[in-house]
Amino acid sequence: MTETRPMSRSSMSRSAKTDLAISLVLIAAAIALPFMVDSRYILGQIVLALFYATIASQWNLLFGFSGIFSLAQMAIFAFGGYATAMFCFYFGWNVWAALVPGALGAVLFSLVVGLACLRLTGVYVALLTLAIAQTMYLLIVTDTECFVMVGSVCRQFTGGAVGFARFGDLGTRALLRAQWLVGNYAIIAVLFALTMVFTYAIVKSPIGLAFRALKDNPGYAVARGVNRFQAQLLVFGISAFFTGLAGGFYAAHFQAIGPGVLSMSQLMFIIAIVVVGGVGTFWGPLVGTVVLVLADELMRESGEFRTLGLGLIIALSVVLMPKGLVGRFGDLVHWLARRRASPDSNTAVSNIVQSPAPAGK
Amino acid sequence: MTDVLMAILVAGFTSGALYALATVGLSLVWGSMGMLNMAHAAMLTLGGYVAFTVITSLGLPIALGFAGAIVAGAVAGAILYFAIVRNLLKNDKSTFEANVMIATVGIGIALENAILLTYGGQPLKQPVSIAGTFRLGPLTLPWQNLMIIAVVVVMMVVVSLALGRTRMGRAIRATAQNRDAAQLMGVAVNRVYLQVLMLSGALAGICGVMVSSMTQLSPPLGNDPMLKAFIMCVVAGLGNLPGAVAAALGLALLESFVQYALGARWGFPSLLFVVIAVLIWRPSGLFGRAEIRRM
Repeated sequence: MTETRPMSRSSMSRSAKTDLAISLVLIAAAIALPFMVDSRYILGQIVLALFYATIASQWNLLFGFSGIFSLAQMAIFAFGGYATAMFCFYFGWNVWAALVPGALGAVLFSLVVGLACLRLTGVYVALLTLAIAQTMYLLIVTDTECFVMVGSVCRQFTGGAVGFARFGDLGTRALLRAQWLVGNYAIIAVLFALTMVFTYAIVKSPIGLAFRALKDNPGYAVARGVNRFQAQLLVFGISAFFTGLAGGFYAAHFQAIGPGVLSMSQLMFIIAIVVVGGVGTFWGPLVGTVVLVLADELMRESGEFRTLGLGLIIALSVVLMPKGLVGRFGDLVHWLARRRASPDSNTAVSNIVQSPAPAGK
Repeated sequence: MTDVLMAILVAGFTSGALYALATVGLSLVWGSMGMLNMAHAAMLTLGGYVAFTVITSLGLPIALGFAGAIVAGAVAGAILYFAIVRNLLKNDKSTFEANVMIATVGIGIALENAILLTYGGQPLKQPVSIAGTFRLGPLTLPWQNLMIIAVVVVMMVVVSLALGRTRMGRAIRATAQNRDAAQLMGVAVNRVYLQVLMLSGALAGICGVMVSSMTQLSPPLGNDPMLKAFIMCVVAGLGNLPGAVAAALGLALLESFVQYALGARWGFPSLLFVVIAVLIWRPSGLFGRAEIRRM
């Protein structure tokens, strides 16, 4: 059961107003950013962070809101990226034309994964999706069969261990020349904003409520008429579309995609983002991205201890703040509100934070 | 033809024995505490490296290397309990399953990376190996594989005796059946959890030594056996020990046949297809108890 009190019947609840205010501030910041940041490196890292935030928000939709612990998130992302790259590489399509078909391919792939997981719960889903992602990685890396000859070089169908490169870009280089990175930043920022808006709509819609109900108490939700199969496939499909689309944009932005995105550490980074930010909170993935990318940059100084630090951050944040930073912030706001003994302690953050389900499991 | 068949069988049984050891370690923890230990792979690796250090760097006999691996695994399990599991158990029960999985993922990465930083990334040779082959009529069996199978069988017997005959084992089984009832009957459930994690860590340590003696020591050593152990757990149904052993042997034999027939890269995907087929047919595994959930 979530803590969401029945949203006030007034035209716009307080939480929605706060969310809107946060979004407006963020949009203003996003527009101001390219004028404030000169360094190419920093802007490049910000673009990368936006990709992470997009993937994390979709994983959060899957795990945080629907309770499906899928470890195939990066596989879906890679599928989108590979599909886009392969459309361009083999058929000579323009990148922009290939993006949506690539994302739809990722949706299809995700639906197959979802079908395989349909009758499973909890850890079984995690194990199966992990196995699927690893199989995909292994099959790509060990692919040595010649598919086409490019010049005198043999190319594998999946690009093998090297992957694909130079299949086209977003066209910003030709259009903006030296400022192409700003153009790419704008495109990816819009992608992220669209993803968040769509996710918000889903989470607040009856479908989103059905997802949450299935997470909190599957038996009760099914008894009340929620179709579990339908809802589970739907969430797999929806989250895959934006993940796959992000994959396509990722491939186009870096003009390359390889099996590296399927590595365990990438997946862990996404999970860490959501866990640190706050599982099942709308702003959690964004907060987690900011914190972890910053931490990652700081740890870059200490070079080799990066992965070690990341692992410890994940473990510690689960132990110390099971509801993530957003959840902790919500606790704080709640506590302050209670201290003031205001009758309405309903704040934006606590509204989307979930208290542990009291029953079920 | 018989030579090839024999080679496949030997390879299949050897890897099956190794997978069985890894699977039992995972399944034990799942069965008694409902915890999926994602750090199991790193504990495997830890065991391999500790044995290497004890034997090569300290120059001690091989038996002490094994002992070192067992102790290191058990200590890692105990640390895991005190640092993570105990704290997570204090929270709401319904969040434990997912939280502990994420936390152990973090511990696993940190441990693997710590090993990488300590020993470096280059592969090392595990000194626990026996050269030569054993002839039995027309059959040629490498001593190495026989040793592995023997050690695994001994470990299985030890585990089943520990679970079946000792007071500790009875407490573990009681907790696995019904945690609340066991607690009400006076079983110190928290101590059982500690014991199970240490036992599983010790098994992982030995398994790591054996796996590295077949290949080489490298920091991601444990990942491949653990991934396969996951699959076997799913096929058998998590928490069922005899089922886990049977599934491990069966799937390892299948894997080595497929690898021979279709090439090495199809070994793992074929396992995955089996899993999906099994899960569609029986969602809680071949031998897993169908869970009855009370609302």
